[in-house]
Amino acid sequence: MKQQTMKLQATMQRMSSYAVALPLAAFIALPLAWMFISSIKPADQLFSSPPRILADRWTIDWYVTVFRDSGAAVFFTNSLIVGLASTLLCLVIGTLAAYALTRFDFPGKSVFLIAALVTYMFPAIVLFVPIYMILNALSLIDTRIGLVICHTILTFPFAVWMLKSFFDTLPREIDEAAWVDGASYLGTFVRIVLPLSLPGIFSVAIFVFVLSWNEFLFASIVMTSTELKTVPVGISEFITSFDVRWGEIMALGTLATVPVVVLFTFVQRYFLRGVLSGAVKG
Amino acid sequence: MQNSSTFSGHAPHARADGLTAAGSRAVTGLIFVAPAVIFMVLFVAYPIWEAIRLSFVAVDAFTGAERFVGLRNYAEILNAPKLWPVLTNTAVWTFWSLIGQFGLGLLAALAINRNMPGMGAIRSILLLPYVVPVIALALFWRWMLDGSFGIVAVSLQHLGLLVPDQSPLASPEGATWSVILANIWRGFPFVMISYWAALQSIPPEQYEAAQVDGATSWQQFRFVTLPNLWTVTKILFVLRFIWTITFFDIIWLVSKGGPAGATEHWPIWIYQETMGFFRFGYGSALAVTLGVMILVAIALYGLVLRVASGGRP
Repeated sequence: MKQQTMKLQATMQRMSSYAVALPLAAFIALPLAWMFISSIKPADQLFSSPPRILADRWTIDWYVTVFRDSGAAVFFTNSLIVGLASTLLCLVIGTLAAYALTRFDFPGKSVFLIAALVTYMFPAIVLFVPIYMILNALSLIDTRIGLVICHTILTFPFAVWMLKSFFDTLPREIDEAAWVDGASYLGTFVRIVLPLSLPGIFSVAIFVFVLSWNEFLFASIVMTSTELKTVPVGISEFITSFDVRWGEIMALGTLATVPVVVLFTFVQRYFLRGVLSGAVKG
Repeated sequence: MQNSSTFSGHAPHARADGLTAAGSRAVTGLIFVAPAVIFMVLFVAYPIWEAIRLSFVAVDAFTGAERFVGLRNYAEILNAPKLWPVLTNTAVWTFWSLIGQFGLGLLAALAINRNMPGMGAIRSILLLPYVVPVIALALFWRWMLDGSFGIVAVSLQHLGLLVPDQSPLASPEGATWSVILANIWRGFPFVMISYWAALQSIPPEQYEAAQVDGATSWQQFRFVTLPNLWTVTKILFVLRFIWTITFFDIIWLVSKGGPAGATEHWPIWIYQETMGFFRFGYGSALAVTLGVMILVAIALYGLVLRVASGGRP
């Protein structure tokens, strides 16, 4: 009797998990699916009232239009360049700092950690005016370098913390052995520690890239000429400068989303590991 | 000089310059963090100082010339007709976004914490908003809320909740809830994953002990799960609070603060004064005020936590 109640209770608990998780998954997935479906519907079925869920034929016309007529390819190229450069800069600064934090004792270490934490929490909207003016004074407005700097500001404190958690898992004895063998500190770092932490570095790289790819505020104030604009800013102007062309816009939205979702799927395992060690940013 | 030897490939332990190993490691550590420090000083510390300084000046939009105006920017904020509407909008936006994100985040974390068939896939789906570009979110949100062809707007019209051909974004309440819902969509996975990590770290022995004592599943939740989530909640709340009250992109891209200022919250105000009217001094005063309000709120929160825990840290 008691066993039956417990079994029933266990089943109820399982059902309640699905009852919570499935609607939530639908809440997340359906809008994304709708964006994609809308991007492959021909105009007559996209603009039908009331809206129809499925179309009787599908088309890639919107994607063709987007690339042939609107010059959207430029936005994607820019986002790729800025994203890769930000990732590189962030990783150079981040790995060096994270390595120092895990292997060396130096004055101001705890101050640095706290400063990195504060920077990590610091909201962009509070600092974007002075940063804009500093970039302006350095003649970096409307340059890719300017935006790369902004994206590195946003990402490197988080990268330092995440990389630190990866370096912490590598035994110090490896470094000590290399030092005893006569390797320099920098040589040990570059030739031994970096290769061993490649999975961690790779996942941090993807996070920096994704944040850079998605970033809107700085991208909107730094880039003023059309040929330098990144995907979020380029698309956002698409909606105001023409009358609202939903087919093209849904195609652009899909194109902006797919790369980051694919990249993220690759590193989800490392991401969850990072989360479990307390390093995450949203 | 020591610096160069660190980089020149000499064995750190076999040096003749008399520097101790600890000393040379300290120097190396400083060199390694130097780029990060320079970056933080130049692009974080200095901008904080600049924001404060600029909040006391008026910057000419054309020449860039600065004129000291004392507290006049701050006085203007206090006298601004939109001060109270913006404050109210900011409070509504932050409060309901946080309620939604923490509510859904906790529910989702409890659900995905069970090892059941399909939960891995569901977890992956629930994490998607974490990486979906805000611009894409804003665009499909607007598309679904389009008054004539949007699937959500038309459904609401059929249910009689909206006038035909009207978008929720056209009314103040509709726009407010639309941007908040979009923000909940985007933000709850972060809360979910943080709570999930905390749930994973609860020792199973605690549940076993509770079961031995005959605790019901509700009692297990109340006396084992919740206390274990408290530590992460304290810091998570601060992070989500900062990132929600200062989050600009969704409102800007979905409603631009409209209709008629109904969704204009503090960050939108900052952006409009600076990038719209090029009032960098006034915009800085707004930014500093927001920063101070956040610090005060966090200090109060810390105080409340301390009092609630009976003076213990």
